[in-house]
Amino acid sequence: MSTDFSDLSILQLSDSFFPSGTYTMSNGLEMFYLKKSLQGADDVKSLVQIFLEQQVGPADCVAASNAYDCAQAKDMAGVITIDETIFRMRLVREIREASIRSGRQLVKSVLSFNKDSFLVQYHDKITQLNAHGTYPVAFSVASNVLGISKRSCCLGMCYGFTVSMVGAALRLGIIQHMEGQKIINSLKPTISKTVSDYIGKNYHQIWQFTPQADLYQMQHEKIDAKMFVT
Amino acid sequence: MSHKIPRIGIGGPVGSGKSMLIEKIMPIIAGKGYRTCIISNDVISKEDADRMRKNLATNQGLLPENLVIGLATGGCPHTAIREDPSMNLALIEEIEQNHPELDVIFLESGGDNVMTTFSPALADYFIYIIDVSGGDKYPRKGGLGIESCDLLVINKTDLAQYVGADLAIMERDTKTMRKQKPYAFVNCKDGIGIQDVADHIIQDVLFEEPPKTRQ
Repeated sequence: MSTDFSDLSILQLSDSFFPSGTYTMSNGLEMFYLKKSLQGADDVKSLVQIFLEQQVGPADCVAASNAYDCAQAKDMAGVITIDETIFRMRLVREIREASIRSGRQLVKSVLSFNKDSFLVQYHDKITQLNAHGTYPVAFSVASNVLGISKRSCCLGMCYGFTVSMVGAALRLGIIQHMEGQKIINSLKPTISKTVSDYIGKNYHQIWQFTPQADLYQMQHEKIDAKMFVT
Repeated sequence: MSHKIPRIGIGGPVGSGKSMLIEKIMPIIAGKGYRTCIISNDVISKEDADRMRKNLATNQGLLPENLVIGLATGGCPHTAIREDPSMNLALIEEIEQNHPELDVIFLESGGDNVMTTFSPALADYFIYIIDVSGGDKYPRKGGLGIESCDLLVINKTDLAQYVGADLAIMERDTKTMRKQKPYAFVNCKDGIGIQDVADHIIQDVLFEEPPKTRQ
């Protein structure tokens, strides 16, 4: 019997059932909906695609890939540097806070069943406030610890983001459940290409550019009646 | 160094009086010198959190304004307090780190009687509140909320006569469903029964220990 369960581990980490609270976030999608900028499935797909190509890929995926390499080399200083970089790139306060809350809870959850010394060290840095524990970095360190390949790690993170956004659209009533699965299916090439495009980039090449989304996220943070964290 | 602060989860259907119960309990708890924090898991708006902040913090000064916190749940309040309480736990960890002086944290969340219950990892004590307007059949319908909570609160007793709810039937069924576990009939609007609920909290959660500031 094989003792390599890494394929199952990435399913576990990227499953919406994994307790990291990502179901509470819409990344501003709710504001697009409230502004009537999203009319249906095509608009939802376009928005998620823009996020993947303009933010999750060039920023989160690059961060995850580089943090993965650092974790592989037991380079905690490198992990912390990337953690700091991605933290500073979260322009909206709620997005920043949600990212580190999710990341920290993800690390704690994995620690509950895997006491890897590097993960323990990373958790210690977080509790000592020497590291933020941003979600992409926490996800990649945990993936490395669980023996998940770097590509699977990046695919899992991008897939999890996509499901989270589609789930938000579903709960807001913009799309129906079958449409959600169609969107996820149609975005598979984008997810795959995004990971291929950015998995080999150095973290100095990190970037993001989603000005409309940034503005909507800033507005969403301040509205009174909302279902999601920004 | 952070210390674990006792947490009380208050759940109940929309409109049952969760926020009002907190607003009525707080003066008693704070009056005894206990320092508190309130986290309101909102389904769609910050209205409850804003109202409690204005009433309890701004107007009465019972706690700092920044310690009445609204938490968006992505439309999944049940999930946020049970299956995946990670966002609540993350917030509580921050509070425990920054406010070790607190004696108790209140967590409020909407949820029906069938499925609502707090994860033991999140809340040490669970109060479930219903009101008589659902009819006197409500307690015997049971459900996780009614049966598993540490204290069942039945609110709006003053409305019983107008909705044809027999309080004696509700009490009989409550005893049957909850075995020996406690319950309280209250009318939050007029403050009736509130002292009883506060006493349960002081005895069963705070163990009648003096506030940290007096230890």
